[in-house]
Amino acid sequence: MISRTKFIGAVEIGTSKVSVLIGELSQDRSLHIIGVGECQSRGVIKGAVADFRAASDATHTALMAAEQSAGTRIDEVYLAQTGGHLEGFYNEAAVNVSSADNMVSALDIDTVCRLAKSKNLPDGRMVVHHLRRPYRLDGRIVPDPLHLVGQRLEAGYWTVHGPEGKIADNIHVIRGFNVRVAELILSSLASGTVLASPEDRQNGALVIDIGAGTTDFVLYRDGSAQMTGVVPVGGGHLTNDLALGLRLTEGQAEKLKLRFGRATLATKDRAEKVWLNGDFAIGDRQFSRYGIEQVTSARVWEIFEVVKKKLGPAFSPEKTASGVILTGGTAKLPGIDEAAAKVFGVQARLGEAPAWVAENLRDPAFSSVLGLLQYGLSSRAEAGAAPRRKSSNWIGKLFATA
Amino acid sequence: MSQPPVNPPSTRTWRDIPQNVTPKAMTREGKKRLVIAVGNIVGLALVIGAAGWGIFELVSIWETNPTRITAAASNVPIRDIALRTDGVLDKGWVTRTLGISKRASLMELNLSMLQERLLATGQVQSAVVARKFPDILAVTIQERSPVARVMVRSGAAVPEAYMVSRDGSVYQGVGYDQALAETLPFLDGVKLVREGAGFARLEGLEQVSDLLGTARTNTPDIYRTFRVVSLARFPVDGTIAVKSTEVDEIIFGVVSDGFFKQLARLDYILNETRRQTPPQPLKAINLAVGGSQVPVAFDMPAVTSDGRAAHAAAKPATPFGTALFSPPPRNSSSSKRDF
Repeated sequence: MISRTKFIGAVEIGTSKVSVLIGELSQDRSLHIIGVGECQSRGVIKGAVADFRAASDATHTALMAAEQSAGTRIDEVYLAQTGGHLEGFYNEAAVNVSSADNMVSALDIDTVCRLAKSKNLPDGRMVVHHLRRPYRLDGRIVPDPLHLVGQRLEAGYWTVHGPEGKIADNIHVIRGFNVRVAELILSSLASGTVLASPEDRQNGALVIDIGAGTTDFVLYRDGSAQMTGVVPVGGGHLTNDLALGLRLTEGQAEKLKLRFGRATLATKDRAEKVWLNGDFAIGDRQFSRYGIEQVTSARVWEIFEVVKKKLGPAFSPEKTASGVILTGGTAKLPGIDEAAAKVFGVQARLGEAPAWVAENLRDPAFSSVLGLLQYGLSSRAEAGAAPRRKSSNWIGKLFATA
Repeated sequence: MSQPPVNPPSTRTWRDIPQNVTPKAMTREGKKRLVIAVGNIVGLALVIGAAGWGIFELVSIWETNPTRITAAASNVPIRDIALRTDGVLDKGWVTRTLGISKRASLMELNLSMLQERLLATGQVQSAVVARKFPDILAVTIQERSPVARVMVRSGAAVPEAYMVSRDGSVYQGVGYDQALAETLPFLDGVKLVREGAGFARLEGLEQVSDLLGTARTNTPDIYRTFRVVSLARFPVDGTIAVKSTEVDEIIFGVVSDGFFKQLARLDYILNETRRQTPPQPLKAINLAVGGSQVPVAFDMPAVTSDGRAAHAAAKPATPFGTALFSPPPRNSSSSKRDF
């Protein structure tokens, strides 16, 4: 048998940096990450491409670095999608089981799924994801209703959609490198795939990925994604707040955030001062540590509050037993898990990459791009298994028309 | 409970976004990759196209005018002649015989003609000439082995020794070791008939070859004394007369006992006559009679063997120098030759 190996790239065009991973997918479907590329992002504001040329340059630099690191060329990538322009809604449908013996057929499943996905979108918007929630057969949750007996089959989809122009911009940035986009995947879903275990998803978990420009979240329940969302606020806003509040440049504020920023107030002595640079050179200044913590924690708190508000009644602490899983570059802020626990009323922890991930990729900033590879491969595997059902569907149609 | 037909409105997904980008929107690296990709596709298409065109052309030429293909391949001159032979002919002789010009190419050669040139020499029993591309001519030769020599006179020229092979072919031997060739006896009593550039095949050479071969293998001392082998009486009574240095005429019979037995008797007779004192020169030994007695003729009146000779049961047959030798009885004495 001929050994076939496929190389697939995962690209996340973030607000602060562009990350690229190259995975080697062997025939036994084991994945090895063989190339990494990073570049400071340019021309991207809150997850949306604002300057095509600058964004292309940065993305292509990262792609080239990854290809050099991997020693191979890639032809297609999985692309992360985020930004405030993405929205979602839930739509469900129900059908009566068609057969006389009330056994659910493939045709019934197909019908209810198509009905649930059939809601029209506003002009100029297109679907990014249809996330199916578990089926309900006569009110009970079933993962796969095929051949089960019941009378009423229900299916619901969380549909994520966005403006065609902004989605196309992201795709065109990649195509400018003459690489095809094989899958477009929500950043939150990607992070959730790699950080939330199947048990977490079954018990209920909220995964929050706080990037530089946006905060992506996904709520899991009953083993599947219930809801996703994007808040156009991220770690960059903490930096901006510090720069405005303390009258610093963006670079100085970023430095202070990384050194002294916290998601909760930990400093008791309000008079405690910290130096901007610590080198006592001209321009080095002192700032109140408490003040810095106040600014950063307030913004982090606000982000969580906005996420909670967007989740609305979908989130309840009782149905989120696995708690909140935090990731993204801003998740490295000290005390952020404590802040999340206070806001959501459930336990919170920093997400940990699976054991197979190399040490240099275990940073929370890579969880999204790691998840792209994992989600993309699993969705492709599902797509590959889909025709089997289609054939049974065809046979069902044959009998239905006879 | 039948379901109403469902025709939900189709929603557009991100997959509906065309992924083709104009080169203007590409970065330099993207353009480079595009050029390489296009180049690869074009190159592959060209290779496939060229291969297809080549096959088409070859097929069409083969169908219409096959000689054009040979003409196309006739530009490479022959670099070497690869010779395989079971005899003594060498590459120089083959090159001279074939007479191929240095500029000739493989495809120009007429292999049948070359084969005929080789076979025109009687020494060559069979020849295979083959092209070994790109530039080697392979020649495989099976040669005849000489069993005797025959003197041939062409017009007024000095007679020349030719070789005679087992199948009766008469040919001018090339490349044989002189000393080895001189050990071959001459053939007599045959009529050489011209046939083309050579001679017609001689009859009876198979039997001569068997006789000489048996003698060379089993009684090499006797074989070395053979000088002339005559087939003069072969067509009449099936006998072969041999003239040796010791006996004027030794007659071997083809239809009587095998050559091995006849040579054994000859060996015995020669030994016995050498023992006699004084040794009696032998004139003729007729081994073709067969049976237990051998007529022997001497150059002087025969002396009946006595003593150990009498033991050999030699009896006077005629009073004029002839005698009949009988083989010794089996197991009569350990010193006696057993036939």
